Amino acid sequence: MSIFVESSDVLPLVDLEIALPVGSLQDPAGQEGLAQLTGHLMRRGPRGLSQARFEDRLASLGSRVSVEVSMRSTRIRATVLRRNLGPLLGLLADMVWQPALRASDFVKLKRRAQAALVARLDDDQTLGAVCFREALFGDHPYGRALGGHADSLGRIGVQQVGDFYERHIAKGSFLIGAAGDVTESEVRSLIASHFPRSRRAKRNGSDVPATRVRRGRHVVIVDKPERTQTQLFIGTLGARTRDRNLFPLIVSNTAFGGTFSGPLMQQVRGVRGWSYGAYSRLLHSTQRDAWYMSTAPSAEYSADCAALQLDLLEQWVERGTKKADLRFAQRYLINSHCFDRDTPSKRLESRLDVELLDIPRSYVDKYDGLIARVTREQANDATRARISPRDLIIVVVATASEVARSFERLPGVRSLEVVPFDRN
Amino acid sequence: MAAQAPPFMAAPEVLIERLNRGVRKRNARWSFVRDQAFGDALTLRRFRLGNGLTVLTLVDRSAPTVSYHTWFRVGSRHERPGKTGLAHLFEHLMFGTTRNHPHGDFDRLMERAGAEANAATWTDWTCYYENAPRDALPLLIELEADRMSNLVLRVPQVNSEKEVVANERKLRVDDDVEGKALELLYDKAFRHHPYRWPTIGSMQDIRGFTVRDCQEFYRTHYAPSNATVVIAGDFSEHKALSLVQKRYGSISAAPAAKIRKSPKEPSQRAERVFQLSAPTPTEKLLVGYHAPAFSDPDTPALVIANDVLFGGLSSRLHRLFCLDEEIALSVRGSISPFIDPGLFEMWIFLREGKRTEDALALLDRGIAGVGSAGPSPLELEKAISQLELSFLHSMETAGGKAEQIGFYETVANDGAAVFERLAAYRNVTGDAVQRAVTKYLRPSRRTRVEILRNLS
Repeated sequence: MSIFVESSDVLPLVDLEIALPVGSLQDPAGQEGLAQLTGHLMRRGPRGLSQARFEDRLASLGSRVSVEVSMRSTRIRATVLRRNLGPLLGLLADMVWQPALRASDFVKLKRRAQAALVARLDDDQTLGAVCFREALFGDHPYGRALGGHADSLGRIGVQQVGDFYERHIAKGSFLIGAAGDVTESEVRSLIASHFPRSRRAKRNGSDVPATRVRRGRHVVIVDKPERTQTQLFIGTLGARTRDRNLFPLIVSNTAFGGTFSGPLMQQVRGVRGWSYGAYSRLLHSTQRDAWYMSTAPSAEYSADCAALQLDLLEQWVERGTKKADLRFAQRYLINSHCFDRDTPSKRLESRLDVELLDIPRSYVDKYDGLIARVTREQANDATRARISPRDLIIVVVATASEVARSFERLPGVRSLEVVPFDRN
Repeated sequence: MAAQAPPFMAAPEVLIERLNRGVRKRNARWSFVRDQAFGDALTLRRFRLGNGLTVLTLVDRSAPTVSYHTWFRVGSRHERPGKTGLAHLFEHLMFGTTRNHPHGDFDRLMERAGAEANAATWTDWTCYYENAPRDALPLLIELEADRMSNLVLRVPQVNSEKEVVANERKLRVDDDVEGKALELLYDKAFRHHPYRWPTIGSMQDIRGFTVRDCQEFYRTHYAPSNATVVIAGDFSEHKALSLVQKRYGSISAAPAAKIRKSPKEPSQRAERVFQLSAPTPTEKLLVGYHAPAFSDPDTPALVIANDVLFGGLSSRLHRLFCLDEEIALSVRGSISPFIDPGLFEMWIFLREGKRTEDALALLDRGIAGVGSAGPSPLELEKAISQLELSFLHSMETAGGKAEQIGFYETVANDGAAVFERLAAYRNVTGDAVQRAVTKYLRPSRRTRVEILRNLS
């Protein structure tokens, strides 16, 4: 049985996780949001218990349960007072392997999911992030919104949820993890009495086609009224998890925009005060995922900020990172790594990631060495090989009439599209 | 109750005697105040330096990290009209130039050491904190002591930081429906007390600050006697106190700041209603009832009431609004943890096409239910279990513990009071919840903001 335990008796608290290698990448075309709806319908409780009674039981045990669906995984996370671990495990097992999946609950859940899509329109940062992925990945599955959209949710019924559950969860593989005030033998004994026999998680994801760079620089303005401030995302494709350039790129990106002291933050915020935050992020998956910069400048100088970022990006890629800056980034990454493992639940999470997301074990076990060994040449070569300043998606959430002209004039822009913020 | 020190900790009197040996300067001499049990296994110790700096230590070897918090007893309540937002702007400036370190050095040195450094400002306090690998503690002490007394304030930095804060205000208030509504709520619910103005300040005030304003603020509020340092995590108490003595001991004991007492807010006798039009797809209802201060004996019962009404998926109002009637996507409640009486805030995030007047009727029904019959035994059990769970989660890391200690020390005058608060929750009865709801959640005590959509 694939059980992972991180014991610590510091607090009378236990975190539990059931991790399944199924996520939105398994959503059938046209039914985007199905994996998430399935996870959330399971969360409404097991057969024989109404949702209200299920929630009462969870709350009175001093527990919280969440179901998080990502592109490649569904993670059922629970946290509970140590004294109530046994009863919580029983409830959790019933929720996952004997879910009620009631049609009446589904109807309400679907209405809630639709309402959540509408409510999301209030959040400019999320609007920008979702639009950026859609523009960057186009029709590729990486561009799908986890929660789907109004049309795709409309096509999903409780039957599709039941089928998805049977195919991917009831008969699928899973991992179990526990962290906190519990021993491995306790966990094994409790799980044996509540859970089905564990099937080892299949490492999937290779069936997703390669992502492709869209040539040129393309601007998308998410048009929203009355914006005094804008949300700006500029990026392109980054790296694969198993890319030999990954660690050099992690170090290089950290030197550029991963810290408060890097040139991106210093030039945008430190020198000019143009944005409260200014960071660059490198995501990785089985295929090349996104690399992007995010800032939030005032509408009056949003395009100037974008131009500055483009200039900094070109300098970073063409001139490379200085030795001292690279060394700084390495020290930051190595020294701060202790915060990735200072609680039992964080240590558990990284072990489950390795099993579930096809991350080489050495990335966790030999992290410090992999970071320390990156040379300046490797970092700069990796940056040039993976980050293309010519091929960029620029997404800005703004009032279009106030910024469109200035964004059109940014160097190298091939197209500019304006989309209403409430188009879905 | 005096706590039993773990074997790796020296007796405090011995420690103090060693640290003070040969130290003549009064400002640099330590005194031991007391120790307190911090849960079953840890001990919180309180020391004071001659210049008035209070230092609380909590040695906890569960992870190789250390957290260093500096809490100043100054927040937006200490500002005045026309100068709102100064405490927050000042928090930004504290990351700038000092007589010993050029601009940018603070962040560079912290990040190179692997430390996360940040700060927060609210109504009653300003907190600076670092979470770092244990070996970085000497650096944290050096840099924090340096900026407590050696900050250099010049026009370029002040202007640049004013622009950053103006952008932060746009992010959190001007373009944010919730931020804008909260600002309106406090402005209308309070007429005299400084809680009425926003911690981030008005845009006009932010734009108008001068270097002189900042220098005066620094002189008035950033003195050792107005601060508490909390050190939690894996560190040697002797080495840490020795370093604090070396770095802070030369800072003079400035006279206590002349802080004007905040005016008492008169009782609200009639409901106040305001509308806010915003480019939002859905209406929202924000209600604020005048609530007791954080340390008021009635607060624990009201916190339990909040959990009964708003705490998670099994709470009364979540069920009513989100599951049964399906008029809201989510509901949220919280009581402002302020030194003086604040507000019990309630948010109803409505679904498309639903109206605030319907939400108000349901809210009144939900509150009346608790006011007339109190919570059920199951509801009490759920609330206490959930508060215990939240408490334990807040104690997971060195940073979490330091935050709790610093907050309770600053707001409740006792860094270990978090445990008493948990005990107080356990002692709350259904009758007490019912009484608190009846006393505080009356329509005449509330201000409400109706957020209406102005999209076509």
